[in-house]
Amino acid sequence: MELYLYIALFSPLVGSLFAALFAASPKSLIAGVVPSLLLFTSFVASTILLVNILSGGDIVHVEMMTWIATGNLYIPFGFVVDQVSITMMMVVTVVSTVVHVYSIGYMDHDKSFNRFFAWLSAFVFSMMILVMSDNFAGLFIGWEGVGLCSWGLIGFWYHKESATWAANEAFIMNRIADLGMLIGIFLVYWNTGTLQYDEAFAVMPALNSEILTWMGIFLFVGAMGKSAQFPLHTWLADAMEGPTPVSALIHAATMVTAGVYLVVRANPLYDLIPHVGLFIASLGAFVALFAASMALVNRDMKRIIAYSTLSQLGYMFVAAGLGAYWVALFHLMAHAFFKALLFLGAGNVMHAMHDELDPFKMGGLKKPLKWTFIMMTLASVALAGIYPFAGFFSKDLILEVSLIEHHYIIYSVLLFTAGLTAFYSFRLVALIFHGEERYKLFGIDPHEAYKFVLIAMSPLLILAIIAGSFKMTYFEMVTAVLPATQYHVHSVVTYWIMTIGTQLFVLLAIAFAYKKYANNRITVPNGTSKMENRLCYKILSNQYYIPYVYEEYISKPYRELSEVFWKHVDMKVVDASVDGIANIIYSTGEKTRTMQSGNLSTMLKWMVAGTVALLSLAVVFGLAVRYSDEIKLIFSGLGVQ
Amino acid sequence: MLDHILSILIFFPALAAVLGFAIQKDSIRAYGVAVATVEFALSLWLWFSFDSDVSGMQFMEQLPLVPAFGINYILGVDGISLFIIIMAAFFTMIGIASLTDTKDEKNMIITLLFLQMTMVGVFVALDAIVFYIFWELSLVPMLYIIGAWGGPLRVYASVKFFLYTFTGSLVMLVGMLFMAYFYFQATGTWSFAILDWYRLILPESFQLWLFVAFFIGFAIKVPMFPFHTWLPYAHGQAPTIGSVILAAILLKMGTYAFIRFSLPLFPDASVFYMYPIAVLAIIMIIYTAMVAYAQKDIKQLVAYSSVSHMGVIILGTFALNVEGISGSVFLMIAHGIVSGALFLLVGVIYDRRHTKMMSEFGGLAHVMPRYATIFAIMMMAAVGMPLMINFVGEFLSLLGFYQQSHILTLLAGIAIIVGAIYMLAAYKKMFFGIVTNEANRNLPDVNKRELVALIPLVIITIWLGVYPKPILEPINNSVESIVQLMHDKSITEEAKSRIPNLVKAIEITRTSAQGAN
Amino acid sequence: MMEIGLNHYLVLSTILFSIGLVGVIRRKNLLMLFFATEILLNSVNISFAAISHFYGDLTGQMFAFFVIAIAASEVAVGLGLLIVWHKRHGNIDLEQMSTMRG
Repeated sequence: MELYLYIALFSPLVGSLFAALFAASPKSLIAGVVPSLLLFTSFVASTILLVNILSGGDIVHVEMMTWIATGNLYIPFGFVVDQVSITMMMVVTVVSTVVHVYSIGYMDHDKSFNRFFAWLSAFVFSMMILVMSDNFAGLFIGWEGVGLCSWGLIGFWYHKESATWAANEAFIMNRIADLGMLIGIFLVYWNTGTLQYDEAFAVMPALNSEILTWMGIFLFVGAMGKSAQFPLHTWLADAMEGPTPVSALIHAATMVTAGVYLVVRANPLYDLIPHVGLFIASLGAFVALFAASMALVNRDMKRIIAYSTLSQLGYMFVAAGLGAYWVALFHLMAHAFFKALLFLGAGNVMHAMHDELDPFKMGGLKKPLKWTFIMMTLASVALAGIYPFAGFFSKDLILEVSLIEHHYIIYSVLLFTAGLTAFYSFRLVALIFHGEERYKLFGIDPHEAYKFVLIAMSPLLILAIIAGSFKMTYFEMVTAVLPATQYHVHSVVTYWIMTIGTQLFVLLAIAFAYKKYANNRITVPNGTSKMENRLCYKILSNQYYIPYVYEEYISKPYRELSEVFWKHVDMKVVDASVDGIANIIYSTGEKTRTMQSGNLSTMLKWMVAGTVALLSLAVVFGLAVRYSDEIKLIFSGLGVQ
Repeated sequence: MLDHILSILIFFPALAAVLGFAIQKDSIRAYGVAVATVEFALSLWLWFSFDSDVSGMQFMEQLPLVPAFGINYILGVDGISLFIIIMAAFFTMIGIASLTDTKDEKNMIITLLFLQMTMVGVFVALDAIVFYIFWELSLVPMLYIIGAWGGPLRVYASVKFFLYTFTGSLVMLVGMLFMAYFYFQATGTWSFAILDWYRLILPESFQLWLFVAFFIGFAIKVPMFPFHTWLPYAHGQAPTIGSVILAAILLKMGTYAFIRFSLPLFPDASVFYMYPIAVLAIIMIIYTAMVAYAQKDIKQLVAYSSVSHMGVIILGTFALNVEGISGSVFLMIAHGIVSGALFLLVGVIYDRRHTKMMSEFGGLAHVMPRYATIFAIMMMAAVGMPLMINFVGEFLSLLGFYQQSHILTLLAGIAIIVGAIYMLAAYKKMFFGIVTNEANRNLPDVNKRELVALIPLVIITIWLGVYPKPILEPINNSVESIVQLMHDKSITEEAKSRIPNLVKAIEITRTSAQGAN
Repeated sequence: MMEIGLNHYLVLSTILFSIGLVGVIRRKNLLMLFFATEILLNSVNISFAAISHFYGDLTGQMFAFFVIAIAASEVAVGLGLLIVWHKRHGNIDLEQMSTMRG
């Protein structure tokens, strides 16, 4: 089984290096095909590992080699394939294989085709390290690695100012969180003496709760960055500057869920500190609502989906925070499938519309983009959580968890958000595919994507529909390592009322969205309509002015302070005082050299003056020594010690 | 030959430099490359014959110079100095090999070879006076390199560099003389041998004063805030090769001396001054990173970033535990490789455009993709990407210091944020966007000669990031012996508790093992 | 009749020394400077001799002889230089000798 582990892990790396060989040369199809094939290999290897685990095989745990060893610290490159990591591996390999194949079509006309695949496969490799590592340091390698690849892929079209800006923003904001993560790792090391998951978690119950709380908080700060939780969320929407396959793979399915994975992985820790868990759940519920509200009014197709991702991440954190780790992981998996599908569909639309992102300028695309329409609609249905699609099983479960755990506020927030989710998802579908064909005003002739692209997307479609049916198999598998709490509402009546109520609520929201946006009266907003001038619309469309606040009150002062530090502090204080000392010495010499007039009688005068001065000093000292007792007496009389 | 390999390493380049005067102008480069390659091969041989399991000094040589005052020519190498020596040989080699576009090439190469002698001398000297001699001698070739081949402000920069560091080292010399005098008082014989000094236990009050005297000399060399202002001038004016050697090797003399002198000689004072120095280091890290962000000149930016990274090294050193000190020694190597490479990269673009202003560039990734790739790799290494060389050092340094203070480590950790800010902003300014300046439209990409220097650096950066063991293990062994020495020597309770006792840790595991039996 | 003691000699020596010192400072003529120097040296000689007598130790008087010998040679060399200078510049004014100006 070890061989399969290595194959699963290293095929993406080989693919990446292979594509990188061609990075500087013009587009060659092979640079896209080979990484895709290697990823498929990785997928197959992961499947074999999954089958092994499902059939009751042992957890595969290998230690490849030592990485860092000094003092008491010992960090190996160790990898573990257990029930949790195999779930993540499956998600990662499935989505990334699909995205790779999709990208061969999507990036067809891009001159940096080869470079794209080098980055994309490198990302998958980092993500595999992240999920497969058996220790915190290895996790951190993957953590930073995906950050790096995300930087390279968001800024892939580096000629665009907005893209490079977003790339840097994402990287730096993640770095802020990574500091928290790093501190969390230090805490783990100095308190447990190891960074291996199993050993560290085994020691943790013996530690005092204050230390554990700090550990939990700092590790979660790391998770907040990667999973774009408030207040570090702004980068995710801006990251949509990257190519759409990237958004599908990184900013929907895999990387952003790394935070959830971390909390799930550290479940023995978070089980010990339920108050931190409650905080995580509350923050998650807040983000779910907060992000959904921004998605309501946005006019950028990809940003809407990004906010939706953010909102769903909030759901996952609610589950993870409340201790329902397997539920969080399950929603993570289901979400990865339908959200990636949604993004890839959006990519098709973008291609057809020549990179137009405003859904108000589309409309009626269901005819030219029939398959994309079907896929996106089904993905939206899954996202909205309609029975029997994947979202129903995972999302309803989270609602149930919050109800059963008696967190009614969280429950009602999430229920309300479920309605919002349905509304904005179908607002998007309605605006893009239904109603009048507004795109004709802009002289665009949309075409459906390549066939193989559509076929490549189909596995995701199938998974988005049927993923819910794996629930019990999945439950039995992961609860081997995660707390196996079954969440059942005790009374059957409540359960049915709840489920049907939720379904009705969501359906109503969908119907409302269709009614409002699928008609022929929709026009491209021009900033004059009554709704656009409402205060709440403005707040929402400006993302609560948070990016503005960050720019005005953090970035700008930082820039200005840097200038001040350089021009005023470093140049005018620190360096000037060094030069000042040198100048004092220099000018002393300059002034006293007039003494050296060369005139013999002046020099003789100085000589005499010097002799007199030295003699007087000698006399003074001599007297002082002779009368030292008296002098001491006088001083002590004056109160000097 | 192995018995005298250290002397050979020191004096072979010097001898070659003297002979170099007799070499024809057009064959001097080949000569220089040959000499530097032989030297590098010798240093590799040293590594090969080095026994990693021995924590103490190896290849010791001793020759009396002034027996009456206990001044001897003592050389030796341990895990801490070994790799800096190899790195010095390596950088001299690739520096000479990639030398481009230099007037008066012959004198430059001769100066570099002399510089190499002094660099190796500093790191192998085990006698304070011999150490001091090489320490001061190293200023002279550098003074020439900046003063003769530098930019428009070269005279100011070189004189500032010389006088500033020289003043600091004079204070250090006074400290050394006092130290020898105390040794004389305690034992009745004079000795300047560092290993003899290690055995001397000083009262805390003496330690405090002597620590300060040594500190001033080292801190200016490192350079620590607020003694750092000579560095941007020196880097700003120096030719590429000067900056590379200065950043990669000469700065390490300061941090190396902290580990070689300050820590083992004055353990109590080290503990006493730990917090103030940590605060200085944190100011260095954050403040200079912000100053770097404000720079318009890419070379100045790299210079300030160097100061910022040196802050992490200092912090690791004063973690006073094995993790931290090993990390800081490793980071010395790492920073040498990475900042050396960054200066070489800046040199590449300077050779083409004769400007270092970032506003002159933009969109270079279109024009020079290979250059942009290598720059990106080195930049990512500099911001501490895991699996790259810097990360191991930074991680260990911060991890080590976390044992001493949580909140200060949190502040120092801001390094990974501010570091990313200025580096990415600079990269964006230079490489991203569209080519706006016509002069940049047809720049040639990196050529073979430049790749000769850059490719090995890239390989080392990744190799030692993925597999740091070959270097980390010898470092670890030597550092363990230093930490143990510090623990045994320390007098105050505070120092005893701050500096871990490694022997005890081993004993406990042994007894528990016995208990289990 | 007052006994002439050590103090009287020392006072005389001090007075002579002061006269010599003032001469060294004030005189602009090189020849006069030599005279003033001679006065300084001789004032010291007086003290040497007097103190030597006072302690009954001949070292002081011996030293005075040394001083006389050195003074003589100094004047010889000095006068030689002075003559050369006068031949070259036509004067021996101190104000003119400022080639050592810093």
